Amino acid sequence: MKIIEVKNLTKIYNGKKKTIAVNNISFEVEKGEIIGLLGPNGAGKTTTIKCIATLIIPDSGDIFIKGKNAFKHPSFALKNISAVLEGNRNIYWRLSVRNNLEFFAGLQGLNPKKIKNKIDELIDYFNLREKEKAQARFLSRGMQQKLAVACAFVRDTEILLLDEPTLGLDVETTHELKELIKKKAKEEGKTLILSSHNMKLVEDICERVIIINKGKVVAIDSIRNLKEFFGYKDFYFEIEGKIKEEIKREFIEKFELVKFKEDEYVTEIEIELKSAEYIYDVIDMMRKNSFKLKRIEERTPDFEEIYLKIVKNG
Amino acid sequence: MGDLILFKTVFKKEFIEMKNYLFNTLFSMISIYMIFVFMFFGIKFISPQAVKFGNTIEGLIIGYFIWLFSIFGYSDMSWGIMEEARAGTLEQLSMTPFGLHRVLIYRIISTFLLTFLYTVPMLFLMMITTGKFLHIDLLTVLPLILFTILPSFGLGFIMSGLGLIFKRLQASFQILQFIFIVFLLAPSDKIFAFKFLPFSLGVRLISQNMIHKIKIFEMNRLDLLILVIVALFYFFAGFYIFKICERIAKKKGVLGHY
Repeated sequence: MKIIEVKNLTKIYNGKKKTIAVNNISFEVEKGEIIGLLGPNGAGKTTTIKCIATLIIPDSGDIFIKGKNAFKHPSFALKNISAVLEGNRNIYWRLSVRNNLEFFAGLQGLNPKKIKNKIDELIDYFNLREKEKAQARFLSRGMQQKLAVACAFVRDTEILLLDEPTLGLDVETTHELKELIKKKAKEEGKTLILSSHNMKLVEDICERVIIINKGKVVAIDSIRNLKEFFGYKDFYFEIEGKIKEEIKREFIEKFELVKFKEDEYVTEIEIELKSAEYIYDVIDMMRKNSFKLKRIEERTPDFEEIYLKIVKNG
Repeated sequence: MGDLILFKTVFKKEFIEMKNYLFNTLFSMISIYMIFVFMFFGIKFISPQAVKFGNTIEGLIIGYFIWLFSIFGYSDMSWGIMEEARAGTLEQLSMTPFGLHRVLIYRIISTFLLTFLYTVPMLFLMMITTGKFLHIDLLTVLPLILFTILPSFGLGFIMSGLGLIFKRLQASFQILQFIFIVFLLAPSDKIFAFKFLPFSLGVRLISQNMIHKIKIFEMNRLDLLILVIVALFYFFAGFYIFKICERIAKKKGVLGHY
């Protein structure tokens, strides 16, 4: 069942300079799916998320939440959506951890007294018990962000929008928050749209990604498919001594994506191959030129490199 | 049911924040009281007769009391929205399925109720300071206060709405607070058109009760009708303008900006 449908969404900001933030993008999200929204700065990720949350009205296009137009039925849409927005505090600094959770529950029309157990469970789950009564302003940055995510969960909506939830957090807290979000979203069957520059986070949590660049969708697929489609084999060779220039040219002509790095004693060759079987050709050429091979290493590109390649090509 | 939960939620937050800013609020109250004392002694010094025979001091107490009520509600709305935008919580607030306007309305009611905690002691303090004790008939005075200050919430809605689009309107917010004084002082008993200004007629009707002990059902029916219509007009006009501004802010994509 499609829970979010974005159809031909376009948003243009008419400031001093006209900026096309989102240019006719369309995608669909299935119920219970965890989707990554990726793209460089200014690609249109935040605008897309804010349009889904009805915080920005697009110039054209529509968004449907559970089949209903979000802009014609914002109340219905917002019954199903909660969000943690990038760059915002998202929580009230003068309220305690518990009071924040109660406030956001109430904002959604949920009686905080009736969901006391859920609030307690979230406090424990996000490891906030110790600071339960402390005002949010006295929490560490990591704890504040955990509280913001907990406040999104307490609203008990089917859709959760997380825009850069780990931005500015240290490695340890990022890892902790990632695990917490992943487990909770799966447990509760949430539909999650996660925007992040942290590829490891996206790769770990998301089943599918939408890559947007300059306001346009450049790829929508599962991470596995993208890796297969855009993936390549990268081989690293270490050769004793220097290589003649004409041999280098021969390598470049034959394999295209070749990088050389050399010093007095060693030459490093990095070759990107479309398929692993081309390795025989490389070895044949090396044998023919009497290379003294010291080391071979296979380097599989990670998702970050694939993402960069897609964005560059898109 | 959902609305009741939302109201309780908003009221609780307002109450907690009021407690957290207690020092700030107490300091403002002391300042406000000091200004009143200066005004009182100023009038006493310039015109001792007014203190002795006229209704000037009673008028001053009532006017000041209503002004306090109006600026509490008005500034809580207009400054409140800006504060939410600055703090980065405005977009979260806008994501309630009840709509931002409903949150603001419940905030108005909460502020109205909580304001009593400050303004009523201040009223007694002013009466003790001046030695002029006003007649307090809650059945008459409470509805009159409500309809007198309702336009301040309408104006609060307008300024909040403009704040959503233009941001940083603090200077205008402050200026308007002082324009409220002009409205309060406008002689609606002498010039009929002034009855359509915010506050003016209401203050006069409250004075009729608190000074001359005229009960609400003894008051001029036309005046009461105008008071209610004017109050509702400013309130709903403000509300409507706010909704338009909210839509413009969402179209411009500046709702959460500061």
